[in-house]
Amino acid sequence: MKRYTLLQCFTVFITFVLISIFFSSEDVSAKVQIVASLPDLGAIAQEIGGDKVDVMSLAKGYQDPHFVDAKPTYVTKLNKADLLIYNGLDLEIGWLPPLITGSRNSKITSTDALGRLDASTYIPQVLEVPTTQIDRSMGDIHPKGNPHYLLDPRNGIYVAGGITARLKEIDPENASYYEENYKKFADHLNQKIKEWDGELAPYKGTEIVSYHKNLEYLSDWAGFKEVGFIEPKPGIPPTPSHVAELIKKMKSMDVKLVIASNYYPQKTGSLVADQSGAVFLSIPTSVGGQDGINTYADLFDVIVGDITSALKNETGETNHSASKAGG
Amino acid sequence: MNFIKMILMAAALFTASSAYFQNDSFGQEGDDVKKEIQELKQMMEKMQQRITELEEKNRALEQQAKEKEVVKENVVVTEETEVIQAAPQPRQESFLSKVAQTLNPDISVIGIFAAAWYSRNDPFVFAEDDPQNTGVNLQELELGFQSIVDPYFRFDTFISLKTEGVEVEEAYGTSLFSMPLNTQFRMGRMRAKFGRINQIHTHAQNFVTLPIVAAEFLGQHLNPTSIEADFLIPVPWYMELSALGGSPDVETPTFATDEANANNLAYLLYVFHLANFFEVSDSLGINLGASFATGSNGTGPKERSNLYGADLYAKYRPLRQSAYTEFRLQSEFMWRQADTPEENLEDYGFYAEGVYRFAKRWNTGVRFDLTDTNTPVAGEDGGDEELLSADSADLVSTRAINPGETLGLPGRAYRISPMLTFSPSEFSQFRLEYDYLNQNYAGNQHAIFLQFQYAIGAHGAHSY
Repeated sequence: MKRYTLLQCFTVFITFVLISIFFSSEDVSAKVQIVASLPDLGAIAQEIGGDKVDVMSLAKGYQDPHFVDAKPTYVTKLNKADLLIYNGLDLEIGWLPPLITGSRNSKITSTDALGRLDASTYIPQVLEVPTTQIDRSMGDIHPKGNPHYLLDPRNGIYVAGGITARLKEIDPENASYYEENYKKFADHLNQKIKEWDGELAPYKGTEIVSYHKNLEYLSDWAGFKEVGFIEPKPGIPPTPSHVAELIKKMKSMDVKLVIASNYYPQKTGSLVADQSGAVFLSIPTSVGGQDGINTYADLFDVIVGDITSALKNETGETNHSASKAGG
Repeated sequence: MNFIKMILMAAALFTASSAYFQNDSFGQEGDDVKKEIQELKQMMEKMQQRITELEEKNRALEQQAKEKEVVKENVVVTEETEVIQAAPQPRQESFLSKVAQTLNPDISVIGIFAAAWYSRNDPFVFAEDDPQNTGVNLQELELGFQSIVDPYFRFDTFISLKTEGVEVEEAYGTSLFSMPLNTQFRMGRMRAKFGRINQIHTHAQNFVTLPIVAAEFLGQHLNPTSIEADFLIPVPWYMELSALGGSPDVETPTFATDEANANNLAYLLYVFHLANFFEVSDSLGINLGASFATGSNGTGPKERSNLYGADLYAKYRPLRQSAYTEFRLQSEFMWRQADTPEENLEDYGFYAEGVYRFAKRWNTGVRFDLTDTNTPVAGEDGGDEELLSADSADLVSTRAINPGETLGLPGRAYRISPMLTFSPSEFSQFRLEYDYLNQNYAGNQHAIFLQFQYAIGAHGAHSY
């Protein structure tokens, strides 16, 4: 009544509405606006979409994709998105849902919307889908199976196929363009996979220890055997007793390689490797996880390169020491 | 291959057993039996050899098949990519995940308990959820039911159970569809967008106790039954303007229904909030907000309270250096004007807290909060009955009032609270906190809390 009447509040309010109208009449770009939850998905979408799309990735490649901050700026990106591509299998459950709710964008809010692509639905097989009753005494497990499927390059092709099909639906005018890009992408990746397969072939059956259960798909593809984890249970940081046990196990099994994504704490991993006579390898597990990794194929170039050179040195060393012992 | 093995085994067993029975019945023909056994032994040895041979053959064949498969797999990738090109079919869900497909809402239960020690027999407690007494306290049991309603809305319900009773803390629908001006509607009962702490549930707070200013001005939390419109303003950064109108039926000392003008729309409760977020760098984000709430306060006809707020939240998380290290700074300032038949009150309060997460499961922090009400007034039943001016000294000497039930505090109070938190997992948490409270009209107080928190059910999402 006396001061600060409702009228004044209303005036302020109306001003903002007018500003909104003024600003919202601006650019409506012809390009398909794509938001990807993970940089790998973003990179694939960029290769398929080429210059007909704008791609923005939410999580950073050097970041643990389970724990991404739901920054409000992401809401503004999702608000303008024509297509949201996400990993699925509950990987982003801790941060993506409120962003989608806040987006106010009918194109992506419905689970079955044309502008919403759960990339996991396109891969042929999900690993580690629980077949028995699960609960959280088993750690932070994913009820729908292991979500880190992008670390198998073959899955990248399937996902690219899904993205291509969706882009063709959203933007039929450029369908042949997307198709062409997809062919290029798939051919290139297939050829690369053959190369990588060749490089990894000598190391099939190598026993490795990893930090978190996020390398299952990589191991499945490369033929590694994961015999232990530095985390006692998914999401639970290592304890001294577990580490001691792991070292003992590694020694008895003669495990030669400890791998961790570069966003996980590196200290324990290198300690375990030191104590057990193995090599510790910190690898990028996502596009942008290290400078110079700009495409999905770059990522595996680095991963395969790092792993094979580590194993080469390791086996070389063993041979060396063996010959020494023999002499 | 395996069944041949089985047949051979069965044959061997049969012969062996019949030999045994023969042996039993014709015990006297020892030599013959011995001979026979010898023969049988030889036979079995032969069979064993044969089995090993077959096994080896089998293994070789399996190996071959596997190699073929590997080759095939490589081909499959290229082949199937062609198929994917043509018509990509989403993978069929497994039986188990189909079983898990229900249309029930996501259900979660969060229990918050605190062991407390107060230096006073009748402790000063400001918020309803704060531990009430020395001993072990139930702070809150929160039941959450959340789900998408249909293509247009989602609905979120949070029921708060306490020792004293039940509160519908929140129950609101949110619109999910595009609307002009990037509008989003929320309808129902919800924690209003006033400042920052008012929107944070008890289990997500950084400290055991609620800042005095939130307890006193907002009455634990301002959650009117209302309609709210949130506009995303198209500026280069994130800016959201919220406007809420609703019933002043909230249990706050600041707002109450004006009985004499109950049908006057101007005396309902209105809350406005402007939120800004600046992504300074990948590591640093800053939220700046301003809030305004106005409505009748029930002290007399056409008497109004105005509440102003400013909030700051900054989060520094250097991801390139460490996956989990982060530093958060949160601060809010509130200024209240309340008209009463006797006089116009003005008071203010603020809090500032810093939290440092130094390991994945550990964080520590300290909070300073201060609230200053120059003109203490006592009210009965939450201050909405009669808001009367009273002499501070009187209030204090008689302690006729519980500070939580006054519109104004007896003077100035400040509190310093350091805390240490350990979260064994995302779903459980221990928090140790010490509170030092200093009041200029009432006594000082020390308090120590050990809070336990458990969450079961659906995995909640974290807001920024």
